[in-house]
Amino acid sequence: MATGKREDRIASVLVALFSVAFLMGAFFTIKKPIYPQQLGPDGFPKAIGFLMTALSIIYLFQAFLGKIKDDAKRAEIIGAEEKLEEKTNFKLMGLVLLDMVAYALLFVPLGFALSTLLALLVGILILDRKHLIRDLIISVVGSFGIYFAFTILLRVELPRGLLTLVGL
Amino acid sequence: MDYVIHNVVLGFSVAGTPINLLLAFVGVFMGTIIGVLPGIGPMTGTALLIPLAFSLNMNPTSAIILMAGIYYGAMYGGSTTSILVNTPGESSSVVTCIDGNKMAKNGRAGPALAAAAIGSFIAGTFATIMLMFFGPLLAQIALHFGPPEFFALMVAGLTVVTSLAGRSIVKALISTLFGLAIAMVGIDLQSSVPRFTFGNVRFMDGIEFLVVAIGLFAITEVFVNLIEMAKKEGKPDLIKIKGGLMLTKEDWKHFWPSCWRGTISGFFVGGVAGAGAAVASFVSYGLEKKAGKRRHLLGTGIIEGVAGPESANNAAAGGSLIHLLCLGIPGSGTTAIMLGALIMLGLQPGPLLFTQQPQFVWGLIASMYIGNVMLLVLNLPLVGMWVKLLDIPQYLLTLFIVLFSFLGVYTANNAVEDLFIMIIFGLVGFGFKKADIPAAPVILGMVLGKMMEEKMRQSLVISDGSYAIFLTRPIALFFLLLAVVSITNPYWKYVPMFFRKLFGGGKGKAAAV
Repeated sequence: MATGKREDRIASVLVALFSVAFLMGAFFTIKKPIYPQQLGPDGFPKAIGFLMTALSIIYLFQAFLGKIKDDAKRAEIIGAEEKLEEKTNFKLMGLVLLDMVAYALLFVPLGFALSTLLALLVGILILDRKHLIRDLIISVVGSFGIYFAFTILLRVELPRGLLTLVGL
Repeated sequence: MDYVIHNVVLGFSVAGTPINLLLAFVGVFMGTIIGVLPGIGPMTGTALLIPLAFSLNMNPTSAIILMAGIYYGAMYGGSTTSILVNTPGESSSVVTCIDGNKMAKNGRAGPALAAAAIGSFIAGTFATIMLMFFGPLLAQIALHFGPPEFFALMVAGLTVVTSLAGRSIVKALISTLFGLAIAMVGIDLQSSVPRFTFGNVRFMDGIEFLVVAIGLFAITEVFVNLIEMAKKEGKPDLIKIKGGLMLTKEDWKHFWPSCWRGTISGFFVGGVAGAGAAVASFVSYGLEKKAGKRRHLLGTGIIEGVAGPESANNAAAGGSLIHLLCLGIPGSGTTAIMLGALIMLGLQPGPLLFTQQPQFVWGLIASMYIGNVMLLVLNLPLVGMWVKLLDIPQYLLTLFIVLFSFLGVYTANNAVEDLFIMIIFGLVGFGFKKADIPAAPVILGMVLGKMMEEKMRQSLVISDGSYAIFLTRPIALFFLLLAVVSITNPYWKYVPMFFRKLFGGGKGKAAAV
């Protein structure tokens, strides 16, 4: 029976799959160099792949068979980060993720200022709708302010997108 | 001595230019903001501000002055919220909460803040002076290192830092190897063979470390904040500062010993052991518990509990810069990000830096002095303003982290694909967080990966393919043994047990002691 945490079981399987895939990649996808070398381009990746596979097997064992040692004292000494124990709100996270993907897709076509404004507004609608007018002002000032600060003050190129139509 | 004085003058002439003074100011100012804001740690902050250095075509000296300022500022800023609100801005001020917040509750917020600021100032200055005297010495020694020694040093650096990250060594090592694996993507420079590029031209140059860093820290932070937002309702209790900031005579008496204990232990943790500021602050609190005159009162809100850890984390932050500059080995996640940035700017940190780029090294050292003074001047009078930052609603802060991540990643290469890679690494980082796998080692592995491989291959060219070269050269062997020791150290306690079982002697645990 599995005794480890669910997250650890999922993660250990994913890590193992990645390790094996990486090792396979190191063995089969890297071509031989034209001039032979003491350690070819595949040597170091193979070593990484082997080590990673070995560790992922240990991780699999820990996750499925034994409990992962949670050494609280050690954690205290080294000041380990807090664990994330709360449940994930996948709906909220999915919506924000979609917002980000859309932002990335529209980044160049709409231009930085407009896509940022849109992404901020959608984000605000997803996360909190209590102060719409205040947040609308912050979004407009934030997106256009940063755009002009970067392009005019700092002279950094940012995608203009639709703003070219109005000559900005 | 003449050498040092000559170089200090050189350093101040570099750091004292108006633009560099301005950058040091901007750095410590932004750093303090980052330190105060609970959603952004020093790693996220430094990663987010690197693109600024690029887009402004800064020279490496100006860039590191900015980054070092952020690093220092974040250390300072974190303590302010620890004391006033009991929420540490970053991991190295977690311990400060214990006594700092109690002091504030007892109506002594002012002296607590002052002790943190003065302690940090003294420790920061001490670390800078040490860097000035020992940096060139260490660089001299490291100049005699060949590729095998450097390879072994990197292995040791990676494993020592990894062994101190997170709760499980297995997970931390997996994280490091994951970083090394990502570093392998792209054209191999020694043989021009493409590796793991999947025939995609975009991957030929490899995956940019900045994209991974911002994805793993900033975007992950966004997802984590979403969870925290759902959890926390209402504002945390903010303690008003009553009375003056000045320490009483009694306070000073207790302040000095713990400040020095913190400074020296912190410097050793950061500068010698290569561990980060968080470890240093915990070590210092432990030391206060053992050596402090009023140790029985620790935890009830006494000044030692603030002065010690706060001095320690700043001394460690300064100390770990010695590794970074002299050996090119980062001691923490934040210094790894700084190393990556320096490499992107075309600089190779390492022993040659002191002789080839003196204006860079000494300019940085001088700017650290200046930054420390600026922080002392900034932090105390502006405490009220920093605390106001906590009024920013969490969701707006989170959305602006997204905005700055996109801005930063895009301006680094002007490539939209990088934005998607960043989002993917954000999800990976969230998975890491869920499984309690530390993410900082990924960055360490990524930054050191290519260099490690290069040194290993150079070594094998020297030895014509024999791996014995790593064992026959004493310095290299020493570093490799250090690496083995650091990984296996939690398992040592089983060794005597094993032998006892083997020989059937002893009666259980009693015989062991």
